Amino acid sequence: MTMATGRPAQIWISLRRPAITGAVGIVVAVLVLALSGVDPLRALSALVYGSLAPANIADTLNWAVPLVGMTLVAAVPLRAGIINLGGDGQMVVGALAAALTAIYLPVPGPLALVLALLAGAMAGSMLALLAAWGETRFGVPLLISSLLLGYPAAGVASYLVSGPLGDLGSGLAQTAQLPLDARLPLLAGVNGGVVLIVLLCVLVIFIDRRTVFGLETQVRGENRLFASYVGINAPLQTLRLMGFAGAIAGSVGAILVLGAFYRFIDGALLSPGYTWSGLMAALVGRGEPIASVLAGFFFAALQTGGFAMQRETSVPRVFTTMMQAVIVLVLTLRFGGRSGRHD
Amino acid sequence: MIDLISPFLIYSAIQAATPLLLAAMAGVFCSRVGVFNMALEGQMLVGAFVAVAAGYFTHNAYAGIAAAMVGTMVFSVILAAGSTWFRGNPVVLCIGMNLLASGMTAYFLRLVFGVSGTFTNPAIPLIPRLSLPGLAALGPWGAVLNNQTAVTYVSWLIVVLCTILLFRTPIGLRIRGAGENPEAAVALGVDVDKLQFATVVVSGALVGLGGAQLSLGAVTLFSEDMTAGRGWIALVAIMLARDNPVGAALACLLFGLTDALGLRLQSFGLPNQIATILPYVITLVALVAFAKRKRQLA
Amino acid sequence: MDNILEVENIEKRYGDLVANRDVNLAVRQGEIHAVMGENGAGKSTLMAILFGMIRPSAGTVRLRGKPVQFASTLDAISARIGMVHQAFKLFPSLTVWENIVFGAEPVRGALLDRKAARERVAALARTHHLDVDPDAVVGKLPIGMQQRVEILKALYRDAEILILDEPTAVLAPAERDGLLKIMRELAASGKTLLFVTHKLNEVMAVSDRVTVMRRGEVTDRMVTADTTAAAIIRAMTGREVSHEVVKPATARGRPLLEIDRLMVGNAAKPALDAVSFAVHAGEIVGIAGVAGNGQAELVDAVTGRRVIDGGTLTIAGTRANDLSLRERRGLGMAIVPEDRHDVGSVAGMPAYVNMSMGKHRAPPLSRRGLIDRAAMRRHAETLIQRFGVAIQGPDTRVGTLSGGNLQKLIVAREFDHQAPVLLVEQPTRGVDVGAIEYIHRVLVDERSAGRAVLLISSELPELLALCDRILVLYEGRIVRELAASQTDEKEIGFYMAGGKGA
Repeated sequence: MTMATGRPAQIWISLRRPAITGAVGIVVAVLVLALSGVDPLRALSALVYGSLAPANIADTLNWAVPLVGMTLVAAVPLRAGIINLGGDGQMVVGALAAALTAIYLPVPGPLALVLALLAGAMAGSMLALLAAWGETRFGVPLLISSLLLGYPAAGVASYLVSGPLGDLGSGLAQTAQLPLDARLPLLAGVNGGVVLIVLLCVLVIFIDRRTVFGLETQVRGENRLFASYVGINAPLQTLRLMGFAGAIAGSVGAILVLGAFYRFIDGALLSPGYTWSGLMAALVGRGEPIASVLAGFFFAALQTGGFAMQRETSVPRVFTTMMQAVIVLVLTLRFGGRSGRHD
Repeated sequence: MIDLISPFLIYSAIQAATPLLLAAMAGVFCSRVGVFNMALEGQMLVGAFVAVAAGYFTHNAYAGIAAAMVGTMVFSVILAAGSTWFRGNPVVLCIGMNLLASGMTAYFLRLVFGVSGTFTNPAIPLIPRLSLPGLAALGPWGAVLNNQTAVTYVSWLIVVLCTILLFRTPIGLRIRGAGENPEAAVALGVDVDKLQFATVVVSGALVGLGGAQLSLGAVTLFSEDMTAGRGWIALVAIMLARDNPVGAALACLLFGLTDALGLRLQSFGLPNQIATILPYVITLVALVAFAKRKRQLA
Repeated sequence: MDNILEVENIEKRYGDLVANRDVNLAVRQGEIHAVMGENGAGKSTLMAILFGMIRPSAGTVRLRGKPVQFASTLDAISARIGMVHQAFKLFPSLTVWENIVFGAEPVRGALLDRKAARERVAALARTHHLDVDPDAVVGKLPIGMQQRVEILKALYRDAEILILDEPTAVLAPAERDGLLKIMRELAASGKTLLFVTHKLNEVMAVSDRVTVMRRGEVTDRMVTADTTAAAIIRAMTGREVSHEVVKPATARGRPLLEIDRLMVGNAAKPALDAVSFAVHAGEIVGIAGVAGNGQAELVDAVTGRRVIDGGTLTIAGTRANDLSLRERRGLGMAIVPEDRHDVGSVAGMPAYVNMSMGKHRAPPLSRRGLIDRAAMRRHAETLIQRFGVAIQGPDTRVGTLSGGNLQKLIVAREFDHQAPVLLVEQPTRGVDVGAIEYIHRVLVDERSAGRAVLLISSELPELLALCDRILVLYEGRIVRELAASQTDEKEIGFYMAGGKGA
């Protein structure tokens, strides 16, 4: 028997986790910084300034474009309880497909741009679908196969751009530059792909809130057995969710190539760790799109601030990566409550 | 083809299998006790870093190994306490730990050694290789097993010990039972939370040992994310072997062989990037081949 | 004074709910003491207190004359009390001896002394005539054998007092007789048995004395030999007979659910072996059988959770063998599942979502793939009213509902489909009396409306009251079809036990 609790109690319960997480996060940050021999206050204020001062907003947005995109990549399947660890591979194949389309397809620039985006989305989607199909057809856990598929995908891409399809003149593992008219324009210093990411966010939120598919996804996330009992086709749902997530990842890869690097550079997409930050943001939001996107934006600000912090103090900016992990870890813990074992 | 299958290939395979093997033993115990450990990757990375750091400062490989084991045990407390007393979701905890390990090692790499990417220094000691006289006398194929690091020999001993521990001791019985039906174990007076905590932390030492072999065994360096999916491959070995230590060890040997084979094929002209993906491809193929087919309609 | 265990004025409250009120119980050394009562009478709470699983709010427990307070089950075990739970607490992948010595293992050095463990288990089994192979893997043993392992676990820990919580609920009649015999032998060897049950004939057959509970209170104490079944029933229910269900005459229509030579499982030992029957419009067909004789597999095969290995399943005239559950529902089948919490509902979501699922893909609840939440709320409100679900409103999460109310909500959703075929599993298990009567009434209404109802229930009175025909499943086969109006519990029980009839 659960008795209805009063309003103040409910507000406290819903705020308790974020409050504890925030407090623990700040304490850990201060401790790590102090142990690193840095004045925590100075470092943290540099971090905040570096991310949110008007002059730095463009940097934050440029970081947020891929990161929020990759947040959706993780959040879309997570809403149904599926963890997609394959964002890296899906992003890389999308980026490569987009670069090759834009460079080699003999069509006018703007058309090449559109086709490149579509090719990126398709390629990412195919790789994600491969992992999903492995689970629905062969029972290979998606959790692991999605991740493991990323290594061959990145390896093959790396081979292609360092050999057969590479810009051999540059001596680096990269493709040739994209034609000027097949690039995404900058909007006030921000990757033009920002428009696409905003549209994708709106689309995901709309699907989640308003569609049958979104509702069924949430039902599955809450209770798998019930979902199959009321006739929700779980394998088909897995394929759709992963196909969609992979398409977003491929689009993010394409947006980075078309709007930031203007070529495919081996390793450049993966080293900032967008996939992992995005996954952390999605876990913070438990797959709920609005909360996840907000968390993704917060993490983007955190990481952009990291550059300023590194400049102003001696703190390496990977500090912000650690903090993301700390936030996720603290959020999953339960304090005080002793009801039942793992959920 | 004759050249391909050489004693050296097998030697390299055994060497490459060592970190996988140690991680897999740890994973078997965690899985048996009821905490599915997906953080092997991060644990191994922490072990590799601590081994290099401690080895660098003490000029002693064994000090590096010891520090790696202790350091990884400390790191494992996150999963051990988080999944027991704090009732965290183990999958989320492990994903968080992997990112934390990646961030933490990169952070301290910059902070302590002032480099990013790869840190290598003559002061970092190599784990000594042991020459066993009996094996040397067996000719080139005897050399396959000879001159491996002490960690490699110990790791196979550990496989035997783990098997005995799991199947022939009271603690092993309790570990197997606690994972299968925690409620029943609690009813018989076994503190499952405590047992899970201890198992995860102690097994962390094995992963740390594997990390040390990775950074001090064949090479003497630390580079960011140098584990490159080995923790996940070890996890696949556990799944293929259905939590059996010997089976998992053999699977690790197979994956070690693909690793060595990939390197070997490079000298036959296979591009480097293609050679390095070989273990992952084989791992995925093995997953499909051994997967339990679902007998269920949609 | 030969009372080994005395309970004085025990009380257990959960908020406003009183599970035990002023309970007194006296158990003599070496007797079989039955504790009787209907579901929810407070028997399990009392036993949980005696075994240290929960602490009483007030009152004392005396063991061998001394007051005791158990902080955990470990305290109870070391006070030489053992308990066999209704849901066994075993490790299926471990062997019998491993299960028994778990937590108190004989050792030689650092290693398990496997030889000593096996021998001790075998000796214990011999002494108490509990024949079981120490090296068998527990998960592969039949239920009756698993129960013996549970008893041996308690005896291995030197239990003097053995609590058996509904031990016969899971057993086939032959196994049950074996257990009753074992109980008598244990008592004869000096053990004290607390036998918790709601089955009258078992109490009459085996117990020395009876304590009867109702609504958390002890209503009577009797010496079995000096009492009658009717007196115990009166003490249990406070009334003489259970409610009658009025079934209007209906004309049996065409067959809507047809099962023909259905096979499930491997050929050597099929879980369902050439099962054939049909459920016609306007009738309720019941499936009787001891748990584990194929009911679960039958339900799984009909709902598509398990692959059909042979024969045909036809729903409303269409072959459905290879269809998904959604497609089967589309042919006209609604399902009330056994597990309300994990299968029948989604606790964390509001009632309107729970009640719309299944109808949410078509107008008025959705159009062109877009859901209409307002329409869903209206839909839920209508059903809540019509089926009298006690819930705050359509936005309330269903995780807070009581068993009976949750079941009404599920029944409301499923019956609202007006599907020609209804598959109903254990509709009243763990449901309060008011809800039982209501659910029985709507089931009969569905029958009158011309639906074909397949009812799977472990409650024989329920089957007898509701069904037109009763099919008895035994070891995966239908061994007997009985007309409900011309049979009784005794005859059904005979066939459930594998009895061969004319």
